[in-house]
Parts: sequence; structure tokens; C-alpha cells
Amino acid sequence: MRGGWIIAVLSLLFLAWFVLNDLVDDWGRLEGGMDNLVIFVEESMWPPNWSVLEAQSYPVCENDIELFCSVGYLGMMETIKIAFVSTMLGFIGALCLSSLAARNLVPLYVALPFRFILAATRSLPSLIWAILFVIIIGFGPLAGVLAMTFYTIGYLGKLQYETYEGMPSDCLEVSRAMGLSHPSTVVSVVIPETGNHLLSQLMFMFEYNVRHGTVIGIVGAGGIGYYITTYLKFLQYDKVLALLIIIFFVVVVIDLLSLMIRSFVTDEGDVRRPTWLKGMIKLWKKRGSSSDAE
Amino acid sequence: MSIQQPVLELKNVDIGYNDALVNNVIARVLPGEIIAVLGPSGIGKTTLIRTIAGLVEPLQGEVTLHTKKKGGLGYIPQRLGLVRHASVRHNVTLGAKASIGFSKTMFEERRNRVEEAVKALGIEDKLKEPVRRLSGGQLRRVATARALAQRPQLLLADEFLSELDHQNVEVVINAVQTLLEDGTSIIMVEHHEENVRLFATRIWVIKDNQLHDYSLKEWEQSLGEEE
Repeated sequence: MRGGWIIAVLSLLFLAWFVLNDLVDDWGRLEGGMDNLVIFVEESMWPPNWSVLEAQSYPVCENDIELFCSVGYLGMMETIKIAFVSTMLGFIGALCLSSLAARNLVPLYVALPFRFILAATRSLPSLIWAILFVIIIGFGPLAGVLAMTFYTIGYLGKLQYETYEGMPSDCLEVSRAMGLSHPSTVVSVVIPETGNHLLSQLMFMFEYNVRHGTVIGIVGAGGIGYYITTYLKFLQYDKVLALLIIIFFVVVVIDLLSLMIRSFVTDEGDVRRPTWLKGMIKLWKKRGSSSDAE
Repeated sequence: MSIQQPVLELKNVDIGYNDALVNNVIARVLPGEIIAVLGPSGIGKTTLIRTIAGLVEPLQGEVTLHTKKKGGLGYIPQRLGLVRHASVRHNVTLGAKASIGFSKTMFEERRNRVEEAVKALGIEDKLKEPVRRLSGGQLRRVATARALAQRPQLLLADEFLSELDHQNVEVVINAVQTLLEDGTSIIMVEHHEENVRLFATRIWVIKDNQLHDYSLKEWEQSLGEEE
């Protein structure tokens, strides 16, 4: 049995190699590739150019803190805003559609059309949605918000209905026997029971939208991606690297935030509250009780 | 002499999934009756309850519920069907939500019913507690409180007294008395004969693919004959 598995995995690897070999016409291209990369990084990218965090020359900065007028800050904030709004709108849209697409909540003849709608929404990448909305309403953050909202509905909708389908059936059976309506069942049973998963998916989607905000910015849908495209056009790779580091930093912060939020809604031991958060909560409670005493 | 309208009628019902576990069930349940369903494991007791609850289609025959449409049927499954990640209050309120329609006073009515139910079951100090943190016995009391807040005309309970010690069985039975005073009928699957004697007014025994309907006295006699 174990030998069978090994043979199967080796066969798949061999098949992958065979297909790759068919795709690559000249393996000689790899020769010297690493050297090219080192030269590119050393000469064009490194060190990152942190002038992206200094105030732009125009428009004139009226804020005391220079950072708030910088390309890095303004672009990142716009990306975060686009990602936040589209994640929230997409989440609500997905909640409405996914509850009508889950096989254990509605009959198959209702579920199938809604699954079809979600699949159609998801099959267009956010970049294509962005191009469509730039054509419809022009350049700017609104096109970005709409593009990512539609993609979020398709993507989150699928994750949500699969989560619903995996939830324990006993509480659904009780609500069905008791005669609770479909909206009541979704709001009072399904969402609370799967809340932790939904929250985790929501945070993942927000992070995904922040990362993709950079991509849709390339087609003029606003955010930090707009500045990345501009610097790429002018071959200012050191500035591009600085902006990529800022994005990486924001993604890490969102990940920590996700861990923190989920720690409040899970069983103890499922997602452990990080030590630094426990310390902060203790300190906050202590401050609260001392101010009450005063 | 007036004839009471039954809350449930089973007419020539075959129960099972692919093959019939119980054949040709003919029975009716009157308001206020407490029926204990007995029989060895795997004989079809839970399937019978699920068929009455409308969760399993009968293979043949007709199951007719004469209950009001909204919240007339209460159900406590073996696994209790509680929303684990929500609080005790949320779970008990579900029962009230199922039976109280839209009105100006609905929130107040719901709140009153929840408070009465948790008080009757002795879990009023657990209202804010998430259900997942409760013990097995406490969980059963929460499920019973949900049924109490619903005030159904027919309550289906699958082994809801198991895992409870003698003291807790008494607490639950006392709490359920308020339902019985309102004329609620109960069909419960039960394994412990002492609970059946304490609580039931009629017995359904599933044996040889048939449902045998006994009064408490007839059942005691049948036990004596078997011995």
C-alpha cells in the first residue's frame, strides 16, 4: 500500500517534469540567470529608496508630520481604504448569496443558480474587473472598490457556503423542526456557529485585497499600485522595492490583527491569544480598575 | 363526551431510510400525553422521532401534525442541537423566536420567556456563558430551557434525560411540568426504566419491526411476563 503511494507520487512528479520539459524550449536560458538577478538587485533595487516616505513636492504638505504627505503613506492608505470598503461590501454580498448556495440550507434547485452566479463572479480575476470598471466609470478608487467588491463576493461566497455545508447538522435540524424561517436560521444559527471561520475568511480576504490593491492600481484603479506602475515606468526600482517593503509590513500587521481578533471568539486552545496581547489586556484591565478606584 | 383532537396522527407509516425499520405504524397522540419510546439500540427509535419531526420522509403512509404552524413542534435531538459558539441566552431565545410572531411586544415577550425558562432549569447564572464551556448536564438543561421558552404543542426529545444525575432529572422534570400544564405532549426516547416510570403516561415499544402501544400498567405487566 505504502509502495503504491510512493509510485503514484513519483509518477506524478515524472509527469510534471515531462510537461515542463515540453513547455521550455531552451534550458540554456537558465544559464547565467542568477548572475543577472544579482546584478539587477545590486545596481537597480538595493538599497530601497526611502524617499517614498518623504513629503511630495506637490501638492504642498500642510501637515506637521511629513510622512502623512508621502507617496508611500498616501498610496498605502488609499489601498487600505479600497481594500477595507470592498471587503466589507463583498462580505455582506457574499453572506446574502452564500446562504442561498449552501446545499444544507436550501434545496438543490435554489442552490445551483446561486452557485453559478458566485462561480461567474469569481472566474473573472480582480484585474479584469478593474479594467471593466475603469472603462465604465473611469480611473480612480471607486473603480478599484467596485472591482474588488465583485471579486470578493465570488471568492468569499464560495468559502462561506463550503463552511456552512461543513457545519454540524443537529442545530440546523432543530431550527428546521422548530419552524424557524430561512433568514432566522442563517442569522441566529448558521452565522454564530460558523462565526470563527467567517471572521478568519474575512481577515484573509482583507489581506488579499490589500495585496491585490497593488495589482489593480496598475490599471489606474487607485492605491499604491498607481505609484508602483509610475516608478516601474521610470525604472526607479529602488523606490518600487521600498513600496513593496511597506506592503509586506502592512500584510504582517493585518495577520497579527487577525490573530488578535480571532482569539476573542474561539475556544481556548484553538487559537491561542498571543502573550503580548494577554499582557496588553491585563494592563488595560488594571488601568480600568485603578481609574475606577480614583 | 367530547373527543379530544390529537396533536399527532400516524397512519400506516413505514419508517426507515432505504429499508423499513418499523412497519405499519398506526398511532395518535393526545394533548398532555407523555410517551416514552423504548427498544434496543438501532431498532429505529431515533428514526421514528426524526420522521415525526419532518427530517426524514416516511417510506409509506401519512404523518399528520395538528399543531400550529409557527413553533408548534419542539425538538431536542440526541446531540442537543445547540449553537456551540453562542451564549446560553442566545440558544434559549431561539425557542422563543420560533413561536413568538412579529408584534410590538415581541422582544419583551421573548425576554420574559427566556428568563422564566432559565430560572426553572436553574441556569440563570449562566446566561452570558458560551455554550461550549458548559458540562454535559448543563447542556441538557439549556436544550430543555430552549424547548420551555418555545412552549410547543408537541415536544420530541431523544434521550434528553440521559447523562443527568438523579437530582438533575428531577429539576428537568419539574421544569417540564409547566409545559404539561399548558397541554404540551411529549414523545421521548428513553433507556432508563426508572425515568419512564417517573415521567411517562404511555409507552411505545419497538420490537420485531412493529410499534407496540402500551399504557404504563400494560407495559409493567408485559415486563413481568417476559421475566
